[in-house]
Amino acid sequence: MDLKLNDDQNMMKKVAADFIKVEAPSYRITDWYQKKQAFIPALYKKTAEVGWLGMMVPEELGGGGTFLMDCAVVFEELGRAPLPGPYFASGVLAAQLMLDGASPEMKKTWLPKICDGSAVIIPAISDDPMQFGPRSVQTRAFKSGEGYKFIGAKRFVQDGSAASHFILAARDDAGQVVLGLIDRNAPGVTVTEASGFMIGAAEVKLESVEVGKYAVLNGSNGAWAVVESALGKVLPILCAYKVGACQEIFEMTNEYTRTRVVFGQPIGRFQRVQDHCVDISIHLDGARWTTYETLWKLDSGIEARASVHQAKAVASEAYYQSCNFSHMVFAGAGTDYKHPLMAHSVLAHSLYQYLGTPLYHKRAMVDALYPRKLKRAG
Amino acid sequence: MDFSLQQDTPEMSAFRQEVRAWLEENMKGGEHLRWSGNWSTRENDEEYRFRRALAGKLGQKRWLFPTYPVKYGGAGLTLDHQFVLETEIDRYGLSLGSVFYTLARLVAPAVMKFGTEEQKLEFLPPMLRGELAVWQVLTEPQGGSDVANCQTKAIRDGDHYVVNGQKVLVGHHLPPDYLWTFVCTNPAGKRHENLGWLYIPANLPGVTLQHMHLMMGIKNAVFFDNVRVPAKYLVGGENNGWKVANSYLELEHGGGGSVAEQPLFKRLIDHCQKADFDGESLIEDQDIRDEIADMLIDLDVQRLMGLRNFWHRYVREPHAYGGPQFLYFQRMVRLRNSERVQKILGYDALVPDNSVHEVADFEYTVRSGPGWLHGGGTLDTDRLIIARRLGLGRPAQEAAPTTVGE
Repeated sequence: MDLKLNDDQNMMKKVAADFIKVEAPSYRITDWYQKKQAFIPALYKKTAEVGWLGMMVPEELGGGGTFLMDCAVVFEELGRAPLPGPYFASGVLAAQLMLDGASPEMKKTWLPKICDGSAVIIPAISDDPMQFGPRSVQTRAFKSGEGYKFIGAKRFVQDGSAASHFILAARDDAGQVVLGLIDRNAPGVTVTEASGFMIGAAEVKLESVEVGKYAVLNGSNGAWAVVESALGKVLPILCAYKVGACQEIFEMTNEYTRTRVVFGQPIGRFQRVQDHCVDISIHLDGARWTTYETLWKLDSGIEARASVHQAKAVASEAYYQSCNFSHMVFAGAGTDYKHPLMAHSVLAHSLYQYLGTPLYHKRAMVDALYPRKLKRAG
Repeated sequence: MDFSLQQDTPEMSAFRQEVRAWLEENMKGGEHLRWSGNWSTRENDEEYRFRRALAGKLGQKRWLFPTYPVKYGGAGLTLDHQFVLETEIDRYGLSLGSVFYTLARLVAPAVMKFGTEEQKLEFLPPMLRGELAVWQVLTEPQGGSDVANCQTKAIRDGDHYVVNGQKVLVGHHLPPDYLWTFVCTNPAGKRHENLGWLYIPANLPGVTLQHMHLMMGIKNAVFFDNVRVPAKYLVGGENNGWKVANSYLELEHGGGGSVAEQPLFKRLIDHCQKADFDGESLIEDQDIRDEIADMLIDLDVQRLMGLRNFWHRYVREPHAYGGPQFLYFQRMVRLRNSERVQKILGYDALVPDNSVHEVADFEYTVRSGPGWLHGGGTLDTDRLIIARRLGLGRPAQEAAPTTVGE
């Protein structure tokens, strides 16, 4: 047993923290979130140079060839900021979908581009505002020549406006999920940024968009198996991002209880206020350790299907609830878009249902452990 | 990182084989017994005697406190050895700390740290050999959480302390050999500077025990009526008791960590797979599955917090708030699980089943949820300790210090 980060990981953590201190100080972060700037291309380029895009992609394809845990350490720091951008969507998830489902030629073409940041490939799986799973894929894929024609509308694609390309999920005539790579500027594609109490989501409309046979990523067991396999590996990286975010919220909230004076004393002397910090600590540590254990299982080749779902459910809830408890402590001041908590609050709400709500993943966890006798689709 | 528990070195692997073979031999005769939880509520004398005898045998092997120095009755082994022993005995649903119905697991470290050499040589060997049942006698009728407001007086009189007062909510259904007792050694002294710890032989004249019938089973009131306790039984010095308490209570407050498994969950799943309602198995019901999901997550987070604490203790790097956080979370999970079990079983959750280990008994689960919210301090004291450790409301450098238990 060894529950510490190793020397390399500690170094990566420090590099990431230093990078953010210089490139994305708190005042810039709050500004980006207030202006809903979810993609800062110049910054994205720089992170590619540091090697944070495609960390787990094999070196011969332009990536870092690291373990999941190494990548998670960096994402924890990105989440602390919280750095906005498709670091996970393109640099991790799209890369993994390519690795698990694309032909060797596609991999050779696209993975180096994901890793150097010249292609920003955004997965667009669910068509539904809340649901996830194969049934949530509603966009239709009609046979067209040797490829498909996609018709549909995905209302909320996280990081959609940053895309140069999409990996789109659609269902063919037999009801099977297919995955196709399309250019954002292809005829029939419209991307409209979504507005509301969220950041980074965009609607992607597909009016007869051609997906050629060389742009399909259906793997050998069908496209949904590709999605499941990729998510089964990389979801804990997204969890690590949320763990970092919770850690930051925890620290800033604790600090505020020391410096904010009301009724003649620091508010941290009030037990009701202390309770909120205790609650954050529990959400934070629950998310941290379920995430770490899952990463360790995956890196060690131990079956982790249920653990991945568990980590995702726990981390999404933890991020959401940590924000809420922090709001209880910061009160009015914390609702100002100029306050660092607001960036987290907006993001926690955006990511809550991204790639499946906590309820979806809790149910998937139980289904993985105790399969239902009556198999229901989805 | 590495979460695996069973990576034994060849030396540890040999030790594990030895322990396993020894336990196989010495657990014989206990096959028909259904264990009580850490704190007996079943009043099963046969089980009690078996466990006390087992403790004696483990003590003779010096395996009860394996890391303690040989001269005090330990084996001078490493924490790795202790871990092997803990995991092997856990296979039988028992734990090293509670196998013998005593709080010696908490008392011995205090004697180790604060006792004089004479006290260590006299008190520790029989305790470490598992010969004694030692109760911690701390809570008083007028105050549990506010332990410093101790009204039981121990006044020096020549070579003795004369003890008068009352303690409550302690022990088991069968009597102890020693009482590890928190006393006020100077009634006129300042708060926190007027306390002491006495290791009181339970058979001294003037000590009376009276059963209390509680939600969690039988505990006791202990009355001290002019009990003359030889002065050699004062541990840690006169008026220094608060310091002793602060150091060793970290262990009670969850700092020791836990690597135990959860038999309750396994039994609940088993029930849901077997029981059916109108032709449909309970495990197929989505509402039941959602309860199971929440319970599983709670138990896993609890397990991981315990593992984290174990690790911090193992590498001797104190975790600022890990101890009280684990304890707090554990209490809350127990309470939530008590409701979950009733949601799933209804009336059946209120019927005891003595044929299973007590910790997997649904009725015990329901009862102990609210019943054990307070052992070793209330939920609210847990939160208070976490807040102190985090240094909330005070400059970070003034955060309360952490201690690491043995």
